[in-house]
Amino acid sequence: MITIMRATRIFLILTALLLCFSAELAAQRAAAPDDLTGYWVSVVTEMWRYRMLVPDKGDYVKMPLNPEGRKVADSWDPAKDQASGNACKGYGAAALLQVPGRLHIYWQDDNTLRVDTDSGTQTRLLHFGGSAPANESPTLQGYSVAEWGGDEPRDRRDGQGGPVQDSSGRLVVAKEQRKQADYLKVLTTHMRPGYLQKNGVPYSATAVLEEYFDYFSDPYTNNTWLAVTTVVTDPQYLIEPLITHAHFKKIPDGSGWDPTPCRADEPR
Amino acid sequence: MNWKLKIVFPLLLLVMLPCRPAGAQVDLTGEWAPRVYNDGMDIGDYTGIPLNEAGRLRAESWHPEQLDLPENLCRPHPIDIGLRVSVSQLRITRELDNETKQPVGFRLHVAWQEPEQVIYMDGRPHPSANAPHKWSGFSTGHWERNTLVYTTDHLKEAYLTRTGVPKSDKATVTTRVHRYGNILTVIFIINDPAYLTEPYIRESSWVYDPNQVIPPFPCEMTPDGTIISAGKVPSFLPGKNDVLSDFATEYGIPLESALGGAETMYPEYIKKMKTMKVAPRTTTEHYKRSQ
Repeated sequence: MITIMRATRIFLILTALLLCFSAELAAQRAAAPDDLTGYWVSVVTEMWRYRMLVPDKGDYVKMPLNPEGRKVADSWDPAKDQASGNACKGYGAAALLQVPGRLHIYWQDDNTLRVDTDSGTQTRLLHFGGSAPANESPTLQGYSVAEWGGDEPRDRRDGQGGPVQDSSGRLVVAKEQRKQADYLKVLTTHMRPGYLQKNGVPYSATAVLEEYFDYFSDPYTNNTWLAVTTVVTDPQYLIEPLITHAHFKKIPDGSGWDPTPCRADEPR
Repeated sequence: MNWKLKIVFPLLLLVMLPCRPAGAQVDLTGEWAPRVYNDGMDIGDYTGIPLNEAGRLRAESWHPEQLDLPENLCRPHPIDIGLRVSVSQLRITRELDNETKQPVGFRLHVAWQEPEQVIYMDGRPHPSANAPHKWSGFSTGHWERNTLVYTTDHLKEAYLTRTGVPKSDKATVTTRVHRYGNILTVIFIINDPAYLTEPYIRESSWVYDPNQVIPPFPCEMTPDGTIISAGKVPSFLPGKNDVLSDFATEYGIPLESALGGAETMYPEYIKKMKTMKVAPRTTTEHYKRSQ
């Protein structure tokens, strides 16, 4: 009788462990603390005249441009861009979410979140895991590496003592000591030069784009929101990283989806 | 102990403990340098604001000389606006209970006019609706995973922009504070049933700057008063604001669009604007004024 009980106990414990680890594996594969998929529409409450209009040439007063950046911006010629096949420069990764429009976000595969925009008819691929391939060619949307953020070690160890190290001296952080992931971080490199504003405010091929996606619902309307904080670092044209924000409200479906071609002289 | 309990209890522990998400807290305290790109700096620029008719009427009556009235010289912004439209170096510290010295929340300090705001995290209730309204309002917060979320009410009447777009004392503000590495991002969701048709969302960021020194901001009334004589309140009567359309004209925007409203916040409005009447532009270099 005791042997049966012991065997049952071991079986149940092993089953529980298996279930738990399976759940962890599934969480790793999906790894999505928030479901960002669906249709979203820009809500332009900030920088309105820079986004809903094409700003005037030279209107870069809110941009931390260096002299070289200003020189490039001052030479902006939308007709020339349109004629020379550069009409999409205002729809590159570093500015795409600032362009008013709709997003369709969905999983292209288990490790790739895809973002389609109707403005400029662009596609961004957010690759989970790994890094940009060494021989990656520059493109308008660059190469984006995504990870869920916020699950760093906790700031305090709740009295659990000093750092635990493995045999190599690396910090070991138990899962219980980590916070819960709660935002999406995207790092984009390998971008072709483009515009931060539709009026030719430039970013260079060496620019690095960081984005943070916060997903939440507002307590007044229960609308679901996606707030994207964007940081563009570009020593070639900017004196300091540029931080911008864009907000999107979730909508039930693709109605209103209005694909446009790239246009150098239009806001979207 | 029953043998079933002996099995089930440790089993439950095994299942629950490793899978349970850890409690979330992020260190938001410290000195934060603003990266605030202020807009809405021109009279008649209500773009992107879901104003209703009452809000628009109040905004149109605003006169810039109101800033020179004696009672307004040292008038602060409520802190939610101060974080957005003024010089807004920010310091966040923990708020400790006076007697127990246990943390009860956070304290925010902003440079311009030095407003302070305490965000209580200890579950205390908000005061009665009849309690006095203050520049700092009354705020209670909680954590949503790693995001500090707090709600502020009991705010005094104020402005959404520096050019007179009003916010009523009925407004409540829900604020989300998120730290991304050394970047602090604050999302304000303003709900004002008096002047807005829907919640107004906007966002600002700060960069961690432990060496930042926030200078004092003394403000004193001049002994001789101000350039506005006592008893006069500069304002525009309805329909008589002769500078209201300047912003729209100078930027080539339909006047109706410049005066805001929820419809103007959505992408499809770009198409609609093309069908609307625009006054001939008087300049294409208006932006240089704000440099």
